[in-house]
Amino acid sequence: MRERLEELLNEARAEIEETGLKDALVGVKSKYLGRKGLLQGFFKELGALAVDERKRAGEFINTVKQSLETEIDSRLSAIHAEEQAERLKTEKLDVTLPGRARSLGSIHPVTRTLYEVQDIFASLGFGIAEGPEVEIDYYNFEALNIPRDHPARDMQDTFYINEEVLLRTHTSPVQIRVMEEHPPPLRIIAPGTVYRRDSDVTHTPMFHQVEGFMVDTNVTFSNLKGVLTHFLHSLFGDSIEVRFRPSFFPFTEPSAEVDIRCVICKGKSSTCRVCKGSGWLEVLGAGMIHPEVFKSVKYDPEKVSGFAFGLGIERIAMLKYGIDDIRLFFENDIRFLSQY
Amino acid sequence: MLFSYNWLKEFVDGLDEVHSLSDRLTITGTEIETVTDLSGGISGVVTAEVATIEPHPNADKLSLCDVNTADGTLKIVCGAKNMKPGDKVVLAVHGARLPGDFKIKRSKIRGVESNGMMCSEVELGIAKESDGIMILPSDTPIGLDALDVLGLQDFILDAGITPNRPDLLSMRGLAREVAAVTDATFTYTAGTVEETGPSVDGLVQVSIEEGAPCTRYSARVIEGVAVGPTPDYIVRRLETNGLRSVNNIVDITNYVLLELGQPLHAFDLDKIGGAKIVVRNARGGETIETIDNVERTLPESVCVIADESTPVAVAGIMGGKASEVSDSTTRVLLESAYFIPTSVRRASKALGLSSDSSYRFERGVDIDAVTEALDRAAALILEIAGGTVAKGRVDLYPEKYVAEPLLFRVPRAEALLGIPIDPDEMASVLKRLGMGVAKKKEFEATGIEVTPPSYRRDILIEEDLLEEAARLFGYDNIPTTLPVAGLVPGGVSPLLGIKRQITEVLSGAGMAEALNYSFVSKDEFNVTGTEGAPALEIMNPLSAEQSVMRRSLMPSLLETLRRNLQVKNEEAAFFEVAPVFTLKATDAGEEGDSTDSLPTQRWKVAGVLYGPRWSMAWNYPKEWVDFYDIKGIVERVLEGVGVRSPMRLSSVGEADARLFHPGKSAAITLGSALAGSLGEIHPEIQSRYDLPKPAYIFELDIEAMAAVSSSKKKYRPLARYPGSVRDVAFIVKSEVPYSDILTSIEKIDTKLIEKVDLFDVYCGSEIPEGSRSIALRVKYRSIDGTLKQAEVDAVHSKVQSELSTRFGAEIRGDGS
Ligand SMILES: [Zn+2]
Repeated sequence: MRERLEELLNEARAEIEETGLKDALVGVKSKYLGRKGLLQGFFKELGALAVDERKRAGEFINTVKQSLETEIDSRLSAIHAEEQAERLKTEKLDVTLPGRARSLGSIHPVTRTLYEVQDIFASLGFGIAEGPEVEIDYYNFEALNIPRDHPARDMQDTFYINEEVLLRTHTSPVQIRVMEEHPPPLRIIAPGTVYRRDSDVTHTPMFHQVEGFMVDTNVTFSNLKGVLTHFLHSLFGDSIEVRFRPSFFPFTEPSAEVDIRCVICKGKSSTCRVCKGSGWLEVLGAGMIHPEVFKSVKYDPEKVSGFAFGLGIERIAMLKYGIDDIRLFFENDIRFLSQY
Repeated sequence: MLFSYNWLKEFVDGLDEVHSLSDRLTITGTEIETVTDLSGGISGVVTAEVATIEPHPNADKLSLCDVNTADGTLKIVCGAKNMKPGDKVVLAVHGARLPGDFKIKRSKIRGVESNGMMCSEVELGIAKESDGIMILPSDTPIGLDALDVLGLQDFILDAGITPNRPDLLSMRGLAREVAAVTDATFTYTAGTVEETGPSVDGLVQVSIEEGAPCTRYSARVIEGVAVGPTPDYIVRRLETNGLRSVNNIVDITNYVLLELGQPLHAFDLDKIGGAKIVVRNARGGETIETIDNVERTLPESVCVIADESTPVAVAGIMGGKASEVSDSTTRVLLESAYFIPTSVRRASKALGLSSDSSYRFERGVDIDAVTEALDRAAALILEIAGGTVAKGRVDLYPEKYVAEPLLFRVPRAEALLGIPIDPDEMASVLKRLGMGVAKKKEFEATGIEVTPPSYRRDILIEEDLLEEAARLFGYDNIPTTLPVAGLVPGGVSPLLGIKRQITEVLSGAGMAEALNYSFVSKDEFNVTGTEGAPALEIMNPLSAEQSVMRRSLMPSLLETLRRNLQVKNEEAAFFEVAPVFTLKATDAGEEGDSTDSLPTQRWKVAGVLYGPRWSMAWNYPKEWVDFYDIKGIVERVLEGVGVRSPMRLSSVGEADARLFHPGKSAAITLGSALAGSLGEIHPEIQSRYDLPKPAYIFELDIEAMAAVSSSKKKYRPLARYPGSVRDVAFIVKSEVPYSDILTSIEKIDTKLIEKVDLFDVYCGSEIPEGSRSIALRVKYRSIDGTLKQAEVDAVHSKVQSELSTRFGAEIRGDGS
């Protein structure tokens, strides 16, 4: 029996050696080690042997079985490793081909800038209010101390629906509407679309503004400077130089224009096209709220004070993104929009 | 307003250098927008005289000239032919510079040395064309700097004058301001005029009718004038301000307008009927031909200057043709007046006519300087046009202007500006500005009584003085401090948040945000909406293309799409978030001044899809977007903003019928409100917008969404036990809407049916005409425990029988 087993072992080893394929090797395994395999026959013969003979023969069969199992398994894993290596060698992508993804959409640069401005003022505790774009003359002009037949009306060329109804020329009417509804203290910004009857290389008949105001018992011009300087530093960086100079708006007194150092030439070029060589860029109009405005909302100008300001979003967006033509904002060319 | 630096110099002593002057004016409130150097970089040009002209020995087209200069005679080669010996010329000598950084050097021209160049107007940069070299007046001395002679040694400053400062619309006014804000001294003093003629009272009769908006009217008569050309310096100064020279008399009135800010008018006295001037309102049907040769009908609200019978000028705006000063005029009636600003503005608007005069009158001139300007102009006429000035002047000034004194309270100023103020320093600042200043006893050291001068009628309240103080003190000297303030419940406009969410969802879905004008053409307006509904029209649109406020965003987006396709941007998905406007049913044609009269404004979001579903890339299926893509976008928006209520779809209403394909579109209802529509555009619209393929579009009402949305998220427990999945496939009539099938299946057992997925819809061979095959995957799961096979079988057979009994479906199997 031992001789026969050794013979079997040699035969099996030869077969394992010859077999290069995984499936064939599985066949070899079942031929020798399977439930009906050749080794099983030797176990059946054990019953006919004497007790100690049976024990030794049994051990020997087991030894043969184990070494066959080990050899087949190691041969199997070697074949697997070869196959795996072969597969990984042939499976190769051109990783430089473009990825598969839906194209990204975009948020309009004007909207982006509006969000940014809103977020800065929100961080200072300003609330946000909106109002109608088609307004009555009273809110757009009269309540803001711009009477009929006053030359200040020339500052804002107006689209009219009829004698009394117009397209708002600024978001300042929201200031009046909010103050009519709420007592001071107030800290509000009013973003929105405004309209002026003006269309050329530097003007579009529709554009966007954020107007803001703060009213309390002790608001000073110095505070106006503080809030607007903080705002401009948040928007353009802490190092930007800010300048306040006197100006005129009917609804503020004293009034100011706020300039920043030219973001293009930093005030160093007398031929700069962006600042026209002045070194400064006008970005905000502001001032202390005019007593007449307070009177029109029944606030007592002896008891409260406040400041108001307004800025054009397109202008800010142009400076921030280096856009040189305001008309691009409303042409909606996807090549422009998709840059944002 | 443009003004000359040299001219300004005539009114002040100690004027700053031009750039520091410009900076100082800007920082004190008179914004100088540009400073133009008239010399344009020219240097080294002198006046000279041509002595002799000989042909160039080596060139036919050139001449060789001897030119006399202050430093002797120079040989100059010249290509021009228009000069003769004795002509005065502009010579650029060796080392000179001309515009464009052109350097003049001594050089040999065709073998002969030339020591400079005689210049043409073009070479000097003062004209676009010239005929040979520039010939100066024969009395020009030689050896002068030609820049001085030509008036080019000067700067032109462009000042943006705000509407509250009409006093700065003149050289005198600017000089006064410059003296107040710099160390310069104002030196202007009014002159006098020599009166040698007969008394003015015998020459003209002037009256102001009751109710006419004229509070001062003065006049002089000058007889025996010679109308003719105007001296160069006046012409040049007028031209700087865009005024064309007419004749010496008219030019003098304009010159004084620029110099003193007072508009004047000169009449030919012989054309004034009855030698009578009546300031009155126009009478019904009166007309006048103004000097711009336009015949105008005068509304009764317009104030005129009339003679005994007819208007001879529109008061403060423009004179009449019939009485204008012409070459044959010898007797001039000179007018200087004060017309009430609002009336001039109204008249100017009513006539659609404005002028340098009306611009100043409607802002307000200095009523106390009316006669000063009259005298100045009369003296200039005498000097330039000759004649004699009649004795005395007409001056109707019934109610002398008295400025109201204002109280300036120092503590209040300190509180508003946030800086300490010294009352004495304040008083001296105000004095510098020409204000009368008196200390007020009752306010001790803290109150100052201030009387503004007659040319500062913009100073009406204490705050106006505050601004004067602040601007002279310097805005830069006011500290920058953040306010200390109590917390105010801020609050955000309710729609802002949802609008921002929508923008983020749609841009995240691959769409580009567009911004279109709110006004559209009538045609575009009519792409959507109820036919015949009145449009919200703009009275004074810039063009018919922008004349109606839009009532839907969808036409604008189709236009956006069209324009992008025109420039071959062929993959396009756009959205827009904006309000639309509709007239209220009651207010059509009605006018009012309350908010109630305003049109309805509703915020909408709209989107359009066009082109391939996937970018046309190498490994993407080449498929085009269809209805279900736009529906997917709508679903994403609703989900993104937390709309809880399901969207219900029905046929689009009449308002959208023209826009949409009837079979591939739907109206959207949220809750009980109609909230929008979506679908494929109508083939007619597709061709209207030049689209080769159909576009898919939607619009949703943001307020309607907000009404049924909630940002609250509620936790739902996760099922811990395994579920079972069963498929079912069936054939059903095509007209049965899928949403009905889904709803009724979900209702069979809301506890055990976790999810129903649609995985196939098929029409075609094997399926009877008018029917379609639908395959569903139903997931059964219980929160309470593992479902037994029998439980699942029981529910699933209910599903199958619901399908067949309720919808007449023929069950085909498990869908595999
Ligand atoms: Zn610059």
